[in-house]
Amino acid sequence: MTNGKTPNDRRRRALALCGASVFALVVAGCGGNQNAVAPASPQEHSITTLFWVMLGGATIGFALVVALLWLGYTRRARPGLPRDVGERGATRLVVGLGIALPVALLVALFVWSDVFVITSTAAPSKSSTSLAVNVVGHDWWWEVRYPGTPVVTANEIHIPVRTRVYLSGTTADVIHSFWIPELNRKIDLIPGQTGHIVLDADRVGVFRGQCSEFCGLQHAHMAVAVIVQSKPAFRRWLAANAAPATSGNPSAFLAAGCGDCHQIRGTAARGDVGPDLTHLELRSTLAALTLANTPANLARWIRHPQAEKPGSRMPDVRLGDAQWAAIDAYLRSLR
Amino acid sequence: MTTTAERSIVTLERVWEARPGVLGWLTTVDHKRIGLLYFWTTLVFFALGGTEALLMRTQLATANEHVISPGGFNELLTMHGVTMIFFFIIPMTTGAFGNYLIPLMIGARDMAFPRLNALSYWLFLGSGLFMYSSFLVHQAPNAGWFDYVPLALRRYDGGLNIDFYALGLILNGVASTVGSINIVTTIFKLRAPGMSWNRMPLFCFAMLAAALSLIFALPALTMDCVFLELQRKAGFDFFSPPGGDPLLWQHLFWIFGHPEVYIIVLPAFGIATSIIPTFARRRMLAFPLVAMAELLVAFIGFGVWAHHMFATGISTTTLAFFAAASMAVVIPSTIQVFAWLFTVNLGTPLFRTPLLFIGGFIVFFVLGGLTGIMFAAIPFDQAATDTYFVVAHFHFIIFGAAVFPLFGGIYYWFPKVTGRLYDEQLGKVSFFVVFAGTLLTFFPMHIVGLLGMTRRVYTYDAGLGWDVYNLLETIGGFILAAGILLILANLVVSWRRNVPAGRDPFNGGTLEWTIPSPPPHYNFAVVPTVTSAYPNWDAADRAHDIEKLHHGEAVLADGHLTPTSTVNDALAGPIAEMPEESPWPIVVAVAVTAAFFMLLTTHALIAAAFLAITLLAVLAWHGDDREQVFSTEWLARPNGWWGTALFVATEATLFGTLIGSYVYLRFRNVHWPPEGIAKPAVLVPVLLTAALVVSSLPVQLAWRAGRSGRTRAAWRFLAAGFGIQLGYFVWQVHDWVDAIHDAPPSHSTYSSILTTMLGFGHAHVLLGLLIDAWLLVQLARRFTPYRLVGLQSVALYWWVVSAISVAVLLTQESAHL
Repeated sequence: MTNGKTPNDRRRRALALCGASVFALVVAGCGGNQNAVAPASPQEHSITTLFWVMLGGATIGFALVVALLWLGYTRRARPGLPRDVGERGATRLVVGLGIALPVALLVALFVWSDVFVITSTAAPSKSSTSLAVNVVGHDWWWEVRYPGTPVVTANEIHIPVRTRVYLSGTTADVIHSFWIPELNRKIDLIPGQTGHIVLDADRVGVFRGQCSEFCGLQHAHMAVAVIVQSKPAFRRWLAANAAPATSGNPSAFLAAGCGDCHQIRGTAARGDVGPDLTHLELRSTLAALTLANTPANLARWIRHPQAEKPGSRMPDVRLGDAQWAAIDAYLRSLR
Repeated sequence: MTTTAERSIVTLERVWEARPGVLGWLTTVDHKRIGLLYFWTTLVFFALGGTEALLMRTQLATANEHVISPGGFNELLTMHGVTMIFFFIIPMTTGAFGNYLIPLMIGARDMAFPRLNALSYWLFLGSGLFMYSSFLVHQAPNAGWFDYVPLALRRYDGGLNIDFYALGLILNGVASTVGSINIVTTIFKLRAPGMSWNRMPLFCFAMLAAALSLIFALPALTMDCVFLELQRKAGFDFFSPPGGDPLLWQHLFWIFGHPEVYIIVLPAFGIATSIIPTFARRRMLAFPLVAMAELLVAFIGFGVWAHHMFATGISTTTLAFFAAASMAVVIPSTIQVFAWLFTVNLGTPLFRTPLLFIGGFIVFFVLGGLTGIMFAAIPFDQAATDTYFVVAHFHFIIFGAAVFPLFGGIYYWFPKVTGRLYDEQLGKVSFFVVFAGTLLTFFPMHIVGLLGMTRRVYTYDAGLGWDVYNLLETIGGFILAAGILLILANLVVSWRRNVPAGRDPFNGGTLEWTIPSPPPHYNFAVVPTVTSAYPNWDAADRAHDIEKLHHGEAVLADGHLTPTSTVNDALAGPIAEMPEESPWPIVVAVAVTAAFFMLLTTHALIAAAFLAITLLAVLAWHGDDREQVFSTEWLARPNGWWGTALFVATEATLFGTLIGSYVYLRFRNVHWPPEGIAKPAVLVPVLLTAALVVSSLPVQLAWRAGRSGRTRAAWRFLAAGFGIQLGYFVWQVHDWVDAIHDAPPSHSTYSSILTTMLGFGHAHVLLGLLIDAWLLVQLARRFTPYRLVGLQSVALYWWVVSAISVAVLLTQESAHL
């Protein structure tokens, strides 16, 4: 790589800029991008429809019960029902409303949801998809891999729009659960097994999610974003991330021991505890969406991770100002 | 005439007089006193659990707050769940309400096993103190109330936090099991003459269903916690791939955990079916249907556990089965809801405070039930599970449906327990405050859950649209707390105001309203005769009772006497003599709790010493052999037999769990046993097990001989059985230790589960040997009917242990397949 500006470089800068603007959506964003009833995929559409229909039925049922309670209150001085059905008639009402009606409704609900709707949210057949993404849950961040490419990133999953993506989930430690409310159901990531799910976004946008199975101290700060791009934009992003790391000087980074936990392709840093940092500056967030990836935040985060995210596996390290400055500069060069 | 009645009362007062002072409370076996101990203790735990909830709500009131550290929050959320379920609702319903009311409702003078009753309370208290002592060392349980592995394994949670959880719940489970066995036996055996099943109060049906569920559900939790401790403390492997499986924890936990939900709400159903007829001033509509529904809920509740695991990747077919079962469990609930509603409508209801709380209960139960149905729709569950939507759902069930009737029940029976009336105006105000607080606390959780807020987060970012709902929930939480304090204030004020309630302020239908308030120590001066489900409304019967008192009939004042009856038809049976105050239950509980503290700190030898003390205390306990002396004839199946039968039933379930876990793990592994470990021997275990089965026969013959008065023959038969069993035990344990030496459990899942299964089998043989030995010594000295019950019980015990050992043998040898 040269130090002069190449078209490739400019593209990276544009991507980084794009990433920063994405952060606004992801973290401070519009307040609606983790909404389980705002579907952005065929799968979530069917789940949402199921929910609204059930909510309608539940409302009617609830109204019936409240009405009967109210009737009992208003007619408290008079025995019997408005129409005198007698003891046996009332028993028949109990049987009808308490057995016959719910049996019919539940059978219908069972067939619809657990026989038909479930097929759309079940694990897809791999052949029906055209892109694969592997997600690995870690305490407390998400590793994202694109099989067949060298691309490894963290916490931000880029996918092309209107493309069926085969997502496989595993865990590196405890049970986590992967859930993007606007795109599909959740899958638990359980040691010893792999979960599968389809992501099939029908529009461009950023869709937030977060770990849904209690996983310890920083369960609250284990968020993930799916960034749905147009197909060309996605291809550009993938190509940029597949490239080797910039040729900045990693010596301060390595001397501080960062390479024991982090990997930077093409350097001696080969750790696998923390996220791969090869293209850190192409990401819009840090620490599983806890912070926006700005130079100031990055400096703060690497100096005092335990203050920003108490309990995080990243230790507070004591270094001199010059060393920190060198590490800052190196990390910011990772585009 | 009057003098006869007065004399009877004076005699009863003298015979049943309680020991005064603190010592009286420590050694009490009176079900009412034990009920009150349970009540006040669980109320303290309720306050603790509530405080934990308020602290969490304070932290979550606004985004990115720092009131509580992440670690502290995780301890709070875990202890809130553990406390409310294991230290408030279950002991409050079965321990306080069940203990106090069941004997009063069925016309008995105490529970079937009064000292066991005291033991269950002291063990419960011990488990609570054990669990809460974790806060003193800043290591409270912190992996959530369902404590999923691997998060709960030592690698991710290295302190004592999880050990407090696992050991505390095992201890708590023992207390609950003991209490439940007592409740079931009491309901089976001590109902007043004439109270056949169709005349038993629905409250007792609900308590029976809850107690039976506990007996059969708790072993799964106990075994799960045993596995967890063996893995954490002794290096066994049940939960770590490739040999083990973290889902084993989840299966076992929810096999207990879902019946648990019905254990929580069933007593609430029972309270509702007590309050509604009283204030609607008519019988329950569809009485038999409601009774069956209560039992059916408990039964179906065992087949729905995997609906907590819809997102774990279990096959779709399996999911569909559990979804169908989860829908089926709705039906018994809808039956009851409409039966309650139409009972209110058919009657002329008085909307007093207790009925208001039942109204609130119906509203919230239906609300939580309807969202519950949504979770049986698998795709929706897979989206909404582990969000605040589910938090809303189960709080409407657990708080709305289980705790509201408790509040109603506290108001309803306050006059009975204290003899004073509560303040009606303040009662109504407290209802509306609690109702509004509940709605405001939990309803917005539905919305925020749909907006993607996941459970168990200690904080959240602004800008996700969650802020306003969280703030509302926190405000609601404090309103709710204020409402609960109003209830408490009402009780305190009413207590001091001292407006006498009289025997029956509400014209209730069941037997507790036929006796003075507060009830005398002996409960009933005359054994009541029952001819309907609402005996207090049968004026002629009650007049007849008073006549009997005046004639000195059915007074039973010659000791701590209570009548027994037949299980189905409640035909009058022999009179049972109940024990008096005893120091041994509390001594046993203290020793057992101390042993658990030693296990916690891994001092196995000191723990064993405390267990030895426990054993000595149990011996001293049984030195007094007046319990269950049948004054007239021999019953085919006395209380002691029923207690044993229920005990071995819960033990058999424990082995079912072990064998099920063995099979589950077996199918997770390709090589079973793993390479390098020899397959189990065949010949010796088969012969030994055959010998154990055969040994049950002489024990059975010992009982036969004892029943027909041939004391020496009984002793010889029992000694023969004992000899064979001792030989079996020594040989088996020798082989077991050898096997552990050859293939240590820490090396493979196979050795872990096999060692545990065989170890539990041998422990049960050892327990039988101890009982044998004790009976042999006692029989050599003196032969009483009480020993005969012991012989009959041990005969049953050995048959069941033999059957278990055959099942264990088959499981062990299945490795050859």
